[in-house]
Amino acid sequence: MRYSVLAKGAKRAPPVMCVAACELFGGNRLAAFPTACALEMVHAASLIHDDLPYMDDDPSRRGQPSNHTPAMPSSLSAFATLSPKHQSDLVPETRILRVIAEIARAVGSTGMAAGQFLDLEGGPNSVDFVQEKKFGEMGECSAVCGGILAGAGDDEIQRLRRYGRAVGVLYQVVDEVLEEKMKTKEGDDEKKKKGKSYVGLYGVEKALEVAEDLRAKAKGELDGFQKYGESVVPLYSFVDYAVDRGFSVGASS
Amino acid sequence: MRYSLLAGGKRVRPVLCLAACELVGGQEPMAMPSACAVEMIHTMSLMHDDLPCMDNDDLRRGKPTNHKVFGEDVAVLAGDALLAFAFEYIAVATVGVTPARIVRAIGELAKSIGSEGLVAGQVVDINSEGLSDVGLEQLEFIHVHKTAALLEGSVVLGAILGGGSTEEVEKLRNFARYIGLLFQVVDDILDVTKSSQELGKTAGKDLVADKVTYPKLMGIEKSREFAEKLNKDAQDQLSGFDPEKAAPLIALANYIAYRQN
Repeated sequence: MRYSVLAKGAKRAPPVMCVAACELFGGNRLAAFPTACALEMVHAASLIHDDLPYMDDDPSRRGQPSNHTPAMPSSLSAFATLSPKHQSDLVPETRILRVIAEIARAVGSTGMAAGQFLDLEGGPNSVDFVQEKKFGEMGECSAVCGGILAGAGDDEIQRLRRYGRAVGVLYQVVDEVLEEKMKTKEGDDEKKKKGKSYVGLYGVEKALEVAEDLRAKAKGELDGFQKYGESVVPLYSFVDYAVDRGFSVGASS
Repeated sequence: MRYSLLAGGKRVRPVLCLAACELVGGQEPMAMPSACAVEMIHTMSLMHDDLPCMDNDDLRRGKPTNHKVFGEDVAVLAGDALLAFAFEYIAVATVGVTPARIVRAIGELAKSIGSEGLVAGQVVDINSEGLSDVGLEQLEFIHVHKTAALLEGSVVLGAILGGGSTEEVEKLRNFARYIGLLFQVVDDILDVTKSSQELGKTAGKDLVADKVTYPKLMGIEKSREFAEKLNKDAQDQLSGFDPEKAAPLIALANYIAYRQN
């Protein structure tokens, strides 16, 4: 557990996004910390499972060998951290229950698990769905949880939902483009990767277009938060950071 | 998910959850979502337990195991999804209980399956396979965590949601620990005395895997005596409650002690 959760090279994007979304609505940063930690653990658990031999079979993750210990400890322990006892004086219990349901939905059979399933079993046309589920859900869930904790309204939650989803997929598309660039630079042999990707399906050009679309979409959602002034800046920076990594090869993690 | 969840099974945990809720004066609907959730978690733990990288079982509840039918990848994912749905279901579907109590119940459930509960038992269990110097104390640690933790979670969840006092919750917690250990002692005995067909799962596998069991450490006779004592200790915990409402729990303890599969 520690090995994977505390690995160096993690971006900690889910927890940071959660805290940023919470502060956007004037929520207390401390109120978001337990949820932020839980999100990072859920994220780590999903990576451990994706790396298993019969899934994506990745030999390394975050620059160290992947976990590959028995599957169960990782998934169960992630939920153990939902134990929200130190939150209840900062956040009403009804909101905590909504956050728990939100995280569960994001990783469950209509969320990330569905994405991974179709990635392994689905046809080639499912790439949009797979990317949205596998990578968009975590972003969506992170942003939405922050909003719920701070007591955001329904419209605002919907906006965060679309924003988070776009950012999540955006990260992945840019990752793929970077990987492709690294490959051609080093002149590696074309490595057949399992799974469905935009780059694999449409090529780098089209993937960059997709990235631009997503960037515009994410920022469009944020424009609705103008009235909150400066506190929306951290959420903009997520979008730009995701894309701008593309210009300096080698800084991909 | 349906394949494994609806494959049958004794449904001991949901029954415990509902009985505990009613014992402390709650209504059945208060604990029904949690009762379903603990069965989902139990099922997912079995699905992952049966995987080749864990216990590697082909047969469960009289049917081929999940990964035999759908593949290992799907078995892992379906298990993950069931676990997630269990928590979602408690959070969304529980009615007639204050949010504070629901949050407390979810915290209890998470603790009982996490790295201090079920998973701790699994890890120690896997690490002690093939070792010759595993003693009674370590065996008890494995079972208290691997088996008793979720039973404890089931009972405590029911008691909290039903509005039980701290004292009542603790008594029921102890009751669950005793019957959890009892469950495993009986399981160990059945593994060496019954056939695969009678059990609905692979018999004699503990011997094949060279696992430490109660019959191995203390012999069949002594194991049976130990089971008797655990059953009595468990029922003693219920003495302060309304006997009529405690009857289902007593019946369950007896069922666990005297079951044939």
